[in-house]
Amino acid sequence: MNNDQVSSGTWFFIGVTICLASLQYKLGTLSSPGSGFLPFLSGLAIGFFSIVGFIHATIRKNRGEVWASFLKAVRWEKALIVLISLFAYGLLLELIGFFLCTLLFIGFLLRVVVPQRWLLVTGGSLLITVASYIVFEVLLKARMPKGFLGF
Amino acid sequence: MDFFNSAIMGFQLAFQPINFMFCFIGVLIGTLVGVLPGLGPVAAMSLLLPVTFNIPPVSAIIVLSGIYYGAMYGGSTTSILVNIPGEAASVVTCLDGYQMARQGRAGPALGIAAFGSFIAGTLSIVGLMFMGPFLAAGALRFGPPEYFTIMILGMTVLTFLSSGPMWKALLMAAFGLFLSTIGMDNVSGIARLSFNIEELIDGIGLVPVVMGLFGISEVMLNVESSMERSIFETKIKNILPNLKDWKASLGPIIRGTILGFFLGILPGAGAIISSFASYAVEKKISKHPEKFGTGVIEGVAGPESANNAATGGAFIPLLSLGIPSNAVTALLLGALIIHGIQPGPLLIKEHPDIFWGTVASMYLGNILLLILNLPLIGLWVKVLKVPYPVLFPLILLFCLIGAYSLNNSITGVIIMNIFGLIGYFFRKFRYEAAPLVLALVLGPMMENSLRQSLLMSGGSPFIFLNRPISSVILIAAFLLLAFPLIPWFSQKRPAFGE
Repeated sequence: MNNDQVSSGTWFFIGVTICLASLQYKLGTLSSPGSGFLPFLSGLAIGFFSIVGFIHATIRKNRGEVWASFLKAVRWEKALIVLISLFAYGLLLELIGFFLCTLLFIGFLLRVVVPQRWLLVTGGSLLITVASYIVFEVLLKARMPKGFLGF
Repeated sequence: MDFFNSAIMGFQLAFQPINFMFCFIGVLIGTLVGVLPGLGPVAAMSLLLPVTFNIPPVSAIIVLSGIYYGAMYGGSTTSILVNIPGEAASVVTCLDGYQMARQGRAGPALGIAAFGSFIAGTLSIVGLMFMGPFLAAGALRFGPPEYFTIMILGMTVLTFLSSGPMWKALLMAAFGLFLSTIGMDNVSGIARLSFNIEELIDGIGLVPVVMGLFGISEVMLNVESSMERSIFETKIKNILPNLKDWKASLGPIIRGTILGFFLGILPGAGAIISSFASYAVEKKISKHPEKFGTGVIEGVAGPESANNAATGGAFIPLLSLGIPSNAVTALLLGALIIHGIQPGPLLIKEHPDIFWGTVASMYLGNILLLILNLPLIGLWVKVLKVPYPVLFPLILLFCLIGAYSLNNSITGVIIMNIFGLIGYFFRKFRYEAAPLVLALVLGPMMENSLRQSLLMSGGSPFIFLNRPISSVILIAAFLLLAFPLIPWFSQKRPAFGE
């Protein structure tokens, strides 16, 4: 299977799932569409276009288009580290507060993704954290969580 | 209120210290995000959107608009000096701009890009001033069927102009439409697909989705590839173009302005398409087309004027019809709604301060941009030298703060991260996110107008064909969908889109 066959196949299942999920709300009638009407229609459209896509991709496969790995020649683990750190930030933010969480987040990224010198890691993360605290918390009055440290 | 009184009121608003300050901040941030590859105006505007909740609506729209047209100015700098477009609309500027820099003519290239952008930006605002109210007055006759078909046309044009197979763009639009249905149904009061998550009752939220799709995924792609970029080391001198440069550039600037303005009005990727169209026109009518790509100033002047003129054009459907024509104006529409302003033909009448204040601030912003772009070019070059490994944590932090401060809730952060991952796969599998964003914004309006239309007709879908305006619009949309089935068009369309 080539890339578009895989992606259109995935979309087909997404479309079917949306259609089934929207059935729990009333579809209504054409003169009085219900809450499930548009979600159902959009699920139907996703399913339809995914079939069109699958046919299109199959024609291309028959002409020689094969699966092209999108993880080849890239350092995908770095992208994964970024994503994990983003989720970790979300999980820890309300627990340990904006200041500490940001300090750890910036320091981690600076040190791990493209390793920088410790001086830059500590100095940079502290500078960015203090600056963002002043800009967002003090000046713009964004109510960021304080955590157990109180700031 | 007549035209001149309205315009004067607009300028009075724009010159108020607070609005002047926000205009300056907007164009400054816009230039910065234009200069920095990897952070576009959509991501920057969505970052700043929560911050604008606490300021007056006029100031909010002024600052957000400033980012939009400011980014178009800044995008040319990286195209010329680094051969990396800061903005998609500046891709074509790389072709001749970078070659000019290699020949020691970076100064005139940057200069003509700034002057061309200024002239085109200013003229397009004049067009916006005249055409906006005119179109809005006409649109007062529109009913739900007309609105529904206009939105269908908007999405069809955008999918038609998207790069890659059309089924992918249509699939994205359908998915965006589905996402827009998550949350409270305004008619029945039922919370749809919200999984009992309180924050989802108000809908999935445009800002975290956009930040994820455009901001986070961009960073993920950048960190996994080589993050090194080299700036062409050249002394930037003679930033004011000479008489010969002006003579060669004046025609392309004027043609680029007209082309960009009218293409910008059309729903779709106006600025990108218009810059490519301008380059193609200049090459076609040039006496020396073979020199294009080797460093001719016309290849910079035309496209840079066109992409700036397109921004003015894109404001026309937004401010007069309430219909966004691309992802950026979709965000502006979202901002208007968040600030309690209903976009549509009545906007100019009911909120003249928003329309005229924004238009006047754009004049002001264009002058500020000229000042920012010419004498401060050295500063922008220094900004370009900030290494990406140091820059990307900052971009991510801004995204996180923006997503959290929307509702002071982690849900926004989680949604943003999920859409970051989704956006990453979209890019890997070559799905464009712009139709999704447009459908996400238009979805609730489309659902309302569809329901109202069907209610009006007693359930007959033929209402869209029975009314003259909506039938013409629907036929136009259908033709656009049918064109790719014609072999000649299906061969031409991807080349146009890409």
